[in-house]
Amino acid sequence: MILLDAQRAFLAEIASDDDVPSSSLGMAIYRNAYRGRLADALTVSFERTRRWVGQEMFELASAHYILTHPPQSWTLDAYGANFPEVLAELFGEDPEVPELAWLEWHMQQAFAAPDDETLSPEALAAAGLDEGDWEHLRLAPAAGLVSREVSHDLAALWHALADGETERSVLRAIDPAMLLVWRKDLSPHFRLLDTGEFAALKPLLDGASFGEAASQVGEPQLAQFGQWFAGWLGEGLFSALRG
Amino acid sequence: MSETIRLFTGFGLGLRKEHHAEFLSAEQKVDFVEIISENFMACGGRPMRTLDAVRERHPVIMHGVSMSLGSPMGLNREYLSELKLLADRIQPLWVSDHLCWTGISGHNSHDLLPLPYTDEALATCIANLKLAQDVLERPLLVENPSSYMTFPESTMSEWEFLRVLAEESGCFLLLDVNNVFVSSVNHGFDPLDFLSAIPRDRVRQIHLAGHSQGPEGMLIDTHDAPVCAEVWALYAKAIERFGPCATMIERDDAIPPLDELLTELGLARHAATIPA
Repeated sequence: MILLDAQRAFLAEIASDDDVPSSSLGMAIYRNAYRGRLADALTVSFERTRRWVGQEMFELASAHYILTHPPQSWTLDAYGANFPEVLAELFGEDPEVPELAWLEWHMQQAFAAPDDETLSPEALAAAGLDEGDWEHLRLAPAAGLVSREVSHDLAALWHALADGETERSVLRAIDPAMLLVWRKDLSPHFRLLDTGEFAALKPLLDGASFGEAASQVGEPQLAQFGQWFAGWLGEGLFSALRG
Repeated sequence: MSETIRLFTGFGLGLRKEHHAEFLSAEQKVDFVEIISENFMACGGRPMRTLDAVRERHPVIMHGVSMSLGSPMGLNREYLSELKLLADRIQPLWVSDHLCWTGISGHNSHDLLPLPYTDEALATCIANLKLAQDVLERPLLVENPSSYMTFPESTMSEWEFLRVLAEESGCFLLLDVNNVFVSSVNHGFDPLDFLSAIPRDRVRQIHLAGHSQGPEGMLIDTHDAPVCAEVWALYAKAIERFGPCATMIERDDAIPPLDELLTELGLARHAATIPA
């Protein structure tokens, strides 16, 4: 017996489809445990998504994902990372499903993301920046901050599902908007931003200086940019001064 | 690297998120808590804040499930680095993992998969264990898992394998009494043969847990039920052989209120004081 060959065969068998019978009772137990553990992980990570699509559809989607996406990380908590993409393929007619799953996934990721202390308005004020400093000010995004475009009112859907509501009437299509997820202090947050506000925010998230971001907004919008910036700071979208 | 692990006696529980609030609000009647290492690696926010607070009150043991000591492809260096960072931060009583493999080529089963007890597997485990101990700068504890199949290629028993592993690598042992019992039923050996072959001076911790009935008379290590009478009796035999050492009850599913687990832990304290 070559250990590596034996392990390859073992892993292939427990990760295989039901069409292939297990070679022994022991292998059947390991195969059952493998699937059960991964299915449980998806259920825990995507509880709202499960309630929205229903148990039967969720199980079918999970089974497909488990067969096509072997876990790659040393932590089971990472297993669902590609599930929203797979749901986008499986629920092509229901684009709110991958949007909801993406939100659910990243709210959990933000919850336990590595620590970055939130930059408060008070901390920024205490830095005593002069006009030249502001021009060159660069900010780091908050812990767990991610964004994507969505076409449904995810806030309404999220809160309705939290209240146990699964009627289709809670779903509302909106003009394309950006969904932002981040952690402020110890709590994950999300918010829908219209495309204009996100276009102003994105350069700062990507590492542009305050002066560069302001110049991209342009003179007529500078007052609006200042208001947005104060709001972003209050919401805890930044974690630290860069450089 | 320190070559020994100081004996620590006492009774503890796994720190599970269902009980975080109670561990944060007051000192609980445990002598230590055990965490699943992977739940806190590369992690921040409330989980890490909770662990930092709990370790102010209780000694912590780090128990891993993904090292894959039996992997002939070697250990994942990134994993070891993250584990080291956590150990440096937490300063645990010790770090443990299992006598098993969990995956190959980046495919992690998230299960404790069985090894054949062969010279090749032994050499693999010893080499991996030495590397892990070098990186972590401490001896590790290795736990016997439950298993549901054996290999005709095995040339030694599990307990012989563990004994040589400890001798050759310098590791210590985490004796899971429930796993000894489960495997003894599944594979038809006498659990006392297992205990009597384990070197007295290498056991630093004992796990107790519940199991469930599987197909065709097999027992499954599910950690979802109280410790059964047979495992309590075997635990008393283990204490008789190895003397007092850190003992904890593992519960990972159907997790009851903390008070219920503390009551069950009281049974362990009692069982450890009466002759087997």
